[in-house]
Amino acid sequence: MTIAFVGGTHRTVPLSLRERLAFSAEQAGEALRRFRSRFPGREVVLLSTCNRVELYTAGESQSPPPADQLVSFLAECRGIDAGLLEPVLTPQQDEDVVRHLLSVASGLDSMVLGEPQIVSQVKQAWALSRQNDASGPLTGEMFEAALRTAKRVATETGLGRERLSIPSVAVADFARGVFERFDDKRVLLIGAGKMARETLRYLREAGARDVVVVNRTAQRADELARSLGVRAGRFDELAAELAAADLVVSTTGAAEPIVTPEIFARAEADRRGRPLVVLDLAVPRDFDPRIGDRPGVWLYSIDDLGSACDANRRSRQREMPAAVAIVEEETRRFMGDLHHRSTAPVIEQLRAGWSETGEAELDRLFRRLPNLDDTARLEIRQAFERYAAKMLHPPLASLRNESHSGPPHGLLDALRRLFDLKE
Amino acid sequence: MIEFVSGISVVCFAASYLVALACEASRLLFRSGVRGAAMIAFAAAGLFAHTLFLAWRAANEHAVPLSSAFDWYLLAAWLLAGGYLWLTIANPKTPVGLFMLPLVLGLIGAAHLSSREPFPQSPATQVWGAIHGIFNLAASVAVAIGAISAAMWLIQAARLARKQAPTQGFRMPSLEKLATTTGRSLGLAAWTASAGFVSGLVLNAVNRRQGLLETVPWDDPVVLRMAALVAWLVAAAVVSRSIARRPDAARVTAWLSLVSLGVLTLSILWGLFGATRHGVPPSRPAAVVGEASP
Repeated sequence: MTIAFVGGTHRTVPLSLRERLAFSAEQAGEALRRFRSRFPGREVVLLSTCNRVELYTAGESQSPPPADQLVSFLAECRGIDAGLLEPVLTPQQDEDVVRHLLSVASGLDSMVLGEPQIVSQVKQAWALSRQNDASGPLTGEMFEAALRTAKRVATETGLGRERLSIPSVAVADFARGVFERFDDKRVLLIGAGKMARETLRYLREAGARDVVVVNRTAQRADELARSLGVRAGRFDELAAELAAADLVVSTTGAAEPIVTPEIFARAEADRRGRPLVVLDLAVPRDFDPRIGDRPGVWLYSIDDLGSACDANRRSRQREMPAAVAIVEEETRRFMGDLHHRSTAPVIEQLRAGWSETGEAELDRLFRRLPNLDDTARLEIRQAFERYAAKMLHPPLASLRNESHSGPPHGLLDALRRLFDLKE
Repeated sequence: MIEFVSGISVVCFAASYLVALACEASRLLFRSGVRGAAMIAFAAAGLFAHTLFLAWRAANEHAVPLSSAFDWYLLAAWLLAGGYLWLTIANPKTPVGLFMLPLVLGLIGAAHLSSREPFPQSPATQVWGAIHGIFNLAASVAVAIGAISAAMWLIQAARLARKQAPTQGFRMPSLEKLATTTGRSLGLAAWTASAGFVSGLVLNAVNRRQGLLETVPWDDPVVLRMAALVAWLVAAAVVSRSIARRPDAARVTAWLSLVSLGVLTLSILWGLFGATRHGVPPSRPAAVVGEASP
């Protein structure tokens, strides 16, 4: 039984080449079918995401396809010169492949450590392989182990719990810390840069409905309002809009703060003490930092949110040893089971041999003792079976134990020679 | 079964709550997949034993809840423990037990120090006695809940002011929710404490008029401390409402609620260790340490 792999990730394959190497679902299905006809008897799964293209193959044969053939296969599928891929794709075999897959599924190999989307991508890749009859028991067990490991890493460590993007941290860790609900809150967008749009997406997911966008150019504000499906406000009424708002997301390109303490003081008088969350995502800042000292104002600049993201990233890094330990444990477990599976033919022959001898002896015994009733015959047969099972237990237990540390070739050879078993 | 129930002591459920509190505190130290279940299991076991203990006393020792200082404190602890269990099941990521369980254990401690002797009652004053006890109980629980949400508000506000992401296992509710709970609890505490005090005055007046039981002097320490507590709670609730439209209203209300818990604690300690005629049978001298009522 062999497992082989060839693949490249964002670490090894440049983006320009990764774009050419990436497979759509349709292309991946076609590649899987082509692989099966090219390498009969080999199971295969192709994992293609924006950050990686990886080919996993497993089979009962002792020799897997050479790595250069796998690279050539991928190159041929995507119409790329194999010479370009050889230096950037990494081949692996057996235990290393399993460890790699388990790490990938758990998000340990992702660009954003612990990101959860990779699990569903691994699931989809395996499902596609099954749909194209390219998967089998070996890859099946391997991918089941990968998904089990990903679940364990997610539940037993904090690897994927902390948020890492500025908009998600701004909404989930800060805005939600102030407000219980958003469906009764007014959101004010000042400008609508990419970060503001992303933040708005999270706010809408949290329930925000009442959104107003203002821009220094009225025409641009109207365009933004139409594109975002929100209401346009007037920039010259910024103080009034601030007075009505509960949460502000500001991303203008202004060189100076557009909300000074004086402008805010005008708004504050009409706020009736309601708290205000300001997510100032602009550089330079749109809000004078002194506004953050006002009671009831929670002002966060992009640096504040960036620091929180960095802290979350460090927190994820601290979870790495625990996650790696789980991956190692599951890899050992999988390889132990796999090695034990390779002993199945020998065990089967051994059992068959003992059973055959036992049956012959029972026949002889029953012919000599024709007066035995059925109960006695059954008792004797069961005693023979128990005896055989007890005699076989020590060698089989040794085989199982030996399988945990690698393929038990020595023991298998010894058993074959001792009991005259065929290869 | 009867042997089992009669064998339940205060130590049984106090120990369960203490283990639940230790589980809550361990949130700050490490992550665990089974801690949530352990916390709920210990709290539920404690609450079950607590319930059986109160039921046993009511059925076999004729000590219905609120009939003695001991039962009054245990009933207050029971209400808070039930609230803790409910909140922990509803919001497993919020470490509410770190705030509630010390109060539960404190009330159990106060029960341990207080008298188990029933308050003297006559059929004529039974209703007023029950009203007096229920309102005082509601006021104490409201003060406790208000102080807990106030403490959580201040911690959450400090975290947001320091611009730090929430710590794993120590995720607080939103300021909005905490401020609402704090304000409502303070208002409820003021109303119920006032009603409890007034019903106590009525009870005393009925006793005095009918001459059935010995009355509590108007300058008794219990009357004075209750008057002080009511005055503080009413003042705090009025201040809280009058500044509701100021941006720092939530912070001021949070501090008022915390101070209210301090005033209540002092009042309880005064009750535990001061001499009084409140809740003392006519034939006996004024109660001293451990014999006073809440």
